[in-house]
Amino acid sequence: MVFNSFNFVGFIIPVLIVYWIFFKKSKVSQNILLLVSSLVFYAWADWRFLILLLISILLNYYLGKKISNTTNETIQRRFLYIGLIFNIGLLLYFKYFNFFYEGFIEILNVFGASASYNTLSILLPLGISFFSFQTLGYLIDIYNEETEPSSNLLEFSVFVSYFPKILSGPIERASKMMPQIQEKRNFTYPVFVDGLRQILWGLFAKIVIAENCAAIANPIFNDYENQSGSVLLLGTFFYAIQLYADFSGYSNMAIGISKLFGIQLMRNFSTPFFSTNISDFWRKWHISLTTWMMDYVFTPLSFSLRSYQKKGLIISIIATFVLVGFWHGANWTFIFYGLLHGIYFIPLVYSGKMNTSEIVAKGKLLPSFVELIKMILLFILIMLTDVFFRAHNVSEAFDYIFLIFSNNIFSIPTEIFSSNYLITTALLFLFIAVEWLHREKSHDFEISHYPFILRWICYIVLYLLILIFGKSAETFIYFQF
Amino acid sequence: METLTIKENIGDVLKSILGHGNFEMHDELTAKDVDGWDSLSHMMIITKIEEAFNIKFKLRDLNKLKNMGSLVSVIQSKI
Repeated sequence: MVFNSFNFVGFIIPVLIVYWIFFKKSKVSQNILLLVSSLVFYAWADWRFLILLLISILLNYYLGKKISNTTNETIQRRFLYIGLIFNIGLLLYFKYFNFFYEGFIEILNVFGASASYNTLSILLPLGISFFSFQTLGYLIDIYNEETEPSSNLLEFSVFVSYFPKILSGPIERASKMMPQIQEKRNFTYPVFVDGLRQILWGLFAKIVIAENCAAIANPIFNDYENQSGSVLLLGTFFYAIQLYADFSGYSNMAIGISKLFGIQLMRNFSTPFFSTNISDFWRKWHISLTTWMMDYVFTPLSFSLRSYQKKGLIISIIATFVLVGFWHGANWTFIFYGLLHGIYFIPLVYSGKMNTSEIVAKGKLLPSFVELIKMILLFILIMLTDVFFRAHNVSEAFDYIFLIFSNNIFSIPTEIFSSNYLITTALLFLFIAVEWLHREKSHDFEISHYPFILRWICYIVLYLLILIFGKSAETFIYFQF
Repeated sequence: METLTIKENIGDVLKSILGHGNFEMHDELTAKDVDGWDSLSHMMIITKIEEAFNIKFKLRDLNKLKNMGSLVSVIQSKI
């Protein structure tokens, strides 16, 4: 059941009515409703793994309590390790088993063994990369005494299974989300309306921008061997925008839906393409994953390598980004994707400009020429890594990039004069302009400060654009992760 | 070592790593209040502080650092 479906509308409206009309006075009944709805939502998506989700909730809840019940560091560590083995084990088994199994057999063959293999058909439980990272973070935070364990199973269950974020994040932290579940939610009109706005923008990004870009990028990628360099370049351009609009659109919908229930989820995208260096980009792209990796992978790693100074920092950054890439899936393409991003950091580490992060052209209407050039160059660098993200295997990605530069890159593709290119480009201008105007706001469509008439014009225009140019979309790119 | 001296030394480290002195040293100061003090520069600051005071932090110490006050007391406990 995707957010942009009539099934979902039919699901959420009754839940909202009961939540705010009948259960507005009791935190417990609000939480029971959220838990039941979340389990129904998850079962609807994939009922076979509901048991797995419930086991994960119970075990992590128990381990969290055990870690904090003692001051003995050895015992604390023992329970933390059980949690790490369980949560990482789930991921390794469901997501990476075949990848490592194939790799292992191939290594055996290199050493002369003539082993063959049949990969197991393992189904990937929906949302596993998201909820297992969330529970991992929860246990590590308790171990580090950064957060208190939950003493209420109902509240903890809502924290893990909360339906707006269970399938594709944001990956929440207990310290931010638990306090909101521990209090009764009160209906606030501005928050509710802001949630609707964010849903509308997310919907526009997903079914208008992402789907129209996909309609252009897919045929190019599917037949890349017979395309000219300039067309391939267009393909990567539209895919890069598709990927962003797909996931940021999804995230805006998730955060907006959560606001309808009075729960603030963390921001996941903060206009990342308006960045002037790679470090800045990653502070704004898939923020919930990046901050997770920074806290639980980069920090311990760079801490242990700190005596190697800049070299230690670079190794930590590259290792972290390889892991960021690998998190997306068991394929070498994602490892290369992460590796390239890690390598992009090297000049920054040596120039000492890694920490310069700010909103581009803050307080101004337009960026300076230098800022514009930097943004475009960064976009091109990222766009090229997205070829790895999209390709089925590494050699296909290299072929694709090689063909861009070797096969008439400067020819003018005739396709750009076709109506779907022109319409998509016009829609993209609108999309980019709106995001640019709100880059300093709390989300991409925060227009509460606009005059009433202008706000409504925006709503109606977006609504019409969705009706006219929206394409049906059954899934999101990030559901497969 | 006196708290004041420790703070002065930390201030020098911050200036040398971040390249600016746009912050006021007080116990409630957090990394978020200081431009450029993020998870990446944090490790360089920590290494410089270890050198400056000739101490070694543990990873768990790092997680306990909530603000300048807690940084000073962790340093004091190790000198």
